[in-house]
Amino acid sequence: MKKSMLGVIDATMLPGEMGELAAHRSPAAIPFAGRYRLIDFVLSNMVNSDIQSVAIFPRSPYRSLMDHLGSGKDWDLNRKRDGLFFFPAPAKEGQFSRLAEHLDYFNRSDQKYVLLSNCTTIANMDFAPALDRFINEKCDILEIVHKGESAHIYLLSLGLLLDLIKNRNETGYQSVQNVVEDSSSSLTKCQYEFEGFLKRIKSVGDYYQTSMQLLEKDKWSELFNEFQPIYTKVKDEPPTNYLAGSYVTNAMIANGCIIEGEVNHSIVFRAVTVGKNSTVKNSIVMQKSKIGQNCILEHVILDKDVSIEDGAVLRGTPDNPLVIKKGSVERAVANS
Amino acid sequence: MAKQKCVAMLLAGGKGSRLKELTESLAKPAVPFGGKYRIIDFPLSNCVNSGIHTVGVLTQYQPLVLNSYIGIGSAWDLDRKNGGVTVLPPYSESSEVKWYSGTASAIYQNLNYIKQYDPEYVLILSGDHIYKMNYDTMLDYHVEKQADVTISVIEVPWDEASRFGIMNTDDEYNVTRFDEKPEKPESNLASMGIYIFKWSVLRKYLEMDESNPDSSNDFGKDVIPAMLADELKLMAYPFKGYWKDVGTVKSLWEANMDLLDDEQDLNLFEHSWRIYSVNPNQPPQIIGMQAKVKHSLVNEGCVIDGSIEQSVMFQGVEVEEDTIIKECVVMPNARIGRGSFLERAIVMSDLEVPENTVIRNNSNDILLITESFLAEFAEQQTRVEEA
Repeated sequence: MKKSMLGVIDATMLPGEMGELAAHRSPAAIPFAGRYRLIDFVLSNMVNSDIQSVAIFPRSPYRSLMDHLGSGKDWDLNRKRDGLFFFPAPAKEGQFSRLAEHLDYFNRSDQKYVLLSNCTTIANMDFAPALDRFINEKCDILEIVHKGESAHIYLLSLGLLLDLIKNRNETGYQSVQNVVEDSSSSLTKCQYEFEGFLKRIKSVGDYYQTSMQLLEKDKWSELFNEFQPIYTKVKDEPPTNYLAGSYVTNAMIANGCIIEGEVNHSIVFRAVTVGKNSTVKNSIVMQKSKIGQNCILEHVILDKDVSIEDGAVLRGTPDNPLVIKKGSVERAVANS
Repeated sequence: MAKQKCVAMLLAGGKGSRLKELTESLAKPAVPFGGKYRIIDFPLSNCVNSGIHTVGVLTQYQPLVLNSYIGIGSAWDLDRKNGGVTVLPPYSESSEVKWYSGTASAIYQNLNYIKQYDPEYVLILSGDHIYKMNYDTMLDYHVEKQADVTISVIEVPWDEASRFGIMNTDDEYNVTRFDEKPEKPESNLASMGIYIFKWSVLRKYLEMDESNPDSSNDFGKDVIPAMLADELKLMAYPFKGYWKDVGTVKSLWEANMDLLDDEQDLNLFEHSWRIYSVNPNQPPQIIGMQAKVKHSLVNEGCVIDGSIEQSVMFQGVEVEEDTIIKECVVMPNARIGRGSFLERAIVMSDLEVPENTVIRNNSNDILLITESFLAEFAEQQTRVEEA
């Protein structure tokens, strides 16, 4: 098992329906579940499955993704041999064309297999059983599926991946997904059904629904356990301070918050303040946002560093949560 | 080694026996504090925030937890090519193992560590106190006063002064006499155990102290009095702010409770003077449907389904439904079963408190809830039921 798989994360996903959340950052770097970024899940799964060399192919803007990953230290990927590689790809279309820009990495690696994943799948998954199936059933390409749908995570041999990249013009295949979806291909394709909690985040709606599901204990415990931890960039925030007037129920709350108001059925990221007599309900509040006094927030997603001034009222709907973009200031306005 | 202006030596070998079972398997500086930290995080963070990047940590008693906690110092940004943190355990010389017999002999045995940096000043710290302090400001004061030694002092209430090492000074804070725990204190300036020495002076006096067979090799009892006798320039540096020795179960509990008091000036949320610690990497805390959390500090990884009030919860603590926790400090990964009630207590790390454990505490003392405490408590309950 050891050192047998390379991890490749294709983080070139376009913002698409992620809207405002991916306006200034790669979808991979969207904050999620109180203290993580979307990419932390796939990346931690790889590390927990003993993958020691991970290549990330991002698309611009990737400043926040790079800042998050750093040297890979928080994932134990700051290694002398192998470790974390960051390969910004030119704005070419086609996965294989982008991987071709960094063929050296693949040629130099001595791992036998490649696990190729998208960057926004949320799950806590050990890839070792998938590799066992791949080897035992002599597959050419193994696709991880969840409830019959593709998770867009694939396993193949490094040799096959290199052939597919080199012959992309002749075959017309531009990605592993193209190969898997081509029923006329002569390759042996297998599927591996992942039974646990798995969601692929493609839109603001997916993001909001999946986040809210984490407030259900059974879902939460499928994602977080002490044996396969999800790693993330570490911040030195103090524990969260619940002041005398606070009233918090059914919430997921990160460190460094100061909570004086009411929080119900919501996710609050680190270093957020919720002022006196304010209510946060069915909402997601990202890091360092400040909510003043006497505010009402319902079905709202506040991006980072948003400031909600005293008395402001913001309401979205369960199907259409209101997204407030990073760094904005919301004042109390009639009918807001 | 490149020269360093100031090297810090952190005395972290203390047992802290008045902390009872809390220090049974770890040294006092490794005792958890404030929902997330260990005591040693405070002096280490103060060093880094003060721009002191060379720190020797002297360990002796139960060093395993402390050593692995410090590691290579990356949590405090002290993993440096030049300087950084170095753990300095006692070592054997030729045939004889030299345990650190006192604070002064501990530094004496590590003179070679200091020598390699050829510093101008040496800062001596202890790993026993909770406070935030800029050592660089103290160093400026030391340089400005052209002192041989500067000792940080804090005003303590007069009725408590006899519990401390007391500095008697003139109006200009020149130290005139040092009294260790005086019965009738003539000053209320207590030594905080923080010293800045001129390196040349420290070296000379430590060598003298070591060759004196009658010395107990202690800074307060031996080295400082010898320097006073020789009429060196000893300055007191008056410190204002939060400072607490957390040497007993009660004072440790009080210091934790102080964090919940808005009036106290120990602010963990101050961004310009962060207290760093080894991050446990746990998911965000979960506050359940029936939970009530009031006036408390809660760290990541907690799952709270009961009521907590005026309490400090470390990482990974679980509180089940219908449980009430009042004025408690719950150490990492403890689990409190449903239907329980705890008040005015410190709950040990990793402890499993069974369901329906009702422990009331009307006394002035703070309970230390350990495995043996629970066993004894259960036995008592059965006896009461039988009677």
